[in-house]
Amino acid sequence: MRLIAALTILICGLGTLPAAATSATARHYALQTEASLVGYETDFGPDKITGTMPVTQADLTLDFHTLANCHVAVTLDASKATASFPFAAQALRGPLVLDAADHPQITFVSTAIHPTDTGAIIDGDLTIRGVTQPFTLVATLYRQHGTATDDLTHLEIHLTGIVHRSAFGATGWAEMVGDDVRLNIVARVAQTGA
Amino acid sequence: MRLANRPDGFGPVTRLLHWGMAAGILGMLAFGLTLVRMRMSLATVWLFGLHKSIGITLLALALLRLLWHRVSPPPGPLGGVPAAQLALARWTHRALYLLMLAVPLSGWAGSAATGIDVVVFNTLTLPPIVPPSEAGAKALLTLHHWLTWALMGLLALHVAGALKRSVLARDGTLSRMVLGRR
Ligand code: HEM
Ligand code: HEM
Repeated sequence: MRLIAALTILICGLGTLPAAATSATARHYALQTEASLVGYETDFGPDKITGTMPVTQADLTLDFHTLANCHVAVTLDASKATASFPFAAQALRGPLVLDAADHPQITFVSTAIHPTDTGAIIDGDLTIRGVTQPFTLVATLYRQHGTATDDLTHLEIHLTGIVHRSAFGATGWAEMVGDDVRLNIVARVAQTGA
Repeated sequence: MRLANRPDGFGPVTRLLHWGMAAGILGMLAFGLTLVRMRMSLATVWLFGLHKSIGITLLALALLRLLWHRVSPPPGPLGGVPAAQLALARWTHRALYLLMLAVPLSGWAGSAATGIDVVVFNTLTLPPIVPPSEAGAKALLTLHHWLTWALMGLLALHVAGALKRSVLARDGTLSRMVLGRR
């Protein structure tokens, strides 16, 4: 399997990276949209509701040398969010949850990135329904399947985080649907230009 | 068989509508009260669709009933009671009609405001009668809640009145709604 075969490397970390990477400075990456997925999961009584949200835009600057130069900005299309059954998708996009008619975009902009043993912790500002709250994503970085050990032009980033939806005013169906929305993001990125 | 109402009795169409809708509405009140207290899951969420489908059916039957009573007016009340009591019965019937329309309409409007389609028996998708809005959904579903309580109060009065005349006075009021004659 790709992930087992993949070499986990530190995002923005120092020391564990191949020599080629540490000498590089800021690299810009573009999201490979078709190969990436923003998934979520939440509790529905004893069951779960799962779904996805398409990414409209993603700007990634990763500097494997200087932590402060790393920057991540992602925009999701709330109006095209999906769910595991039709009424849940309508409820999700509707005025009681994402309110996609008035707030079609969900945005995340990083403010600080800290290395960990397996990847990085990305602090940032998450905006849902026009409400901005601090938010943390845990990232694990992999090589993409079929790339060389020291090849940092194509990366696979797994990100997880928990959104407490009521903090953003997304309070609909609170008696039936959980407040915690667990994000599970697979982002495949390719280096662009400089 | 004569379907229409007669000056001295209820015809079969009116009686069928009365008892069919009575069963439907009483069942829906119990259903609604249970529904909002249930722990929902993937296995039970379809019950909301059933509640909405039966509710819309009852709305259609209420309109049909009003139309039918234009075509074939129901008989006036049996006499022998004070005028104030007859007026109370008349106004109770009017208020019941109002609620037979307002209860399902508030449910439909409240559902539309949540952004979720009202689909009748998994086939007919009704148009949203109000635009989606959080404030609208909350207000209209609260209205739906209070209108159902008003309906329960009026029904208690209506049934008490019917039983008073049939059990205490034994004047044939109930039997002419059940059997069509006294
Ligand atoms: C949801 C339940 C009910 C509703 C909405 C309802 C509504 C009405 C209405 C509007 C009328 C006037 C005639 C008409 O326009 O059809 C009526 C008559 C009547 N109802 Fe009900 N009813 C309900 C339940 C009951 C029950 C449970 C009883 C039995 C105890 C009952 C007994 C009667 C009787 C005896 C009449 C005839 C009154 C007369 O002779 O003028 N109803 N009902
Ligand atoms: C004769 C028709 C109807 C009756 C008697 C009825 C009765 C009720 C009752 C008693 C409740 C519980 C209210 C509470 O205690 O909070 C309820 C809830 C509800 N009803 Fe109806 N209903 C009817 C028609 C409809 C229709 C046509 C719709 C939608 C198309 C609808 C949608 C709902 C919804 C969404 C709830 C849940 C509200 C919540 O979660 O607070 N109902 N209904």
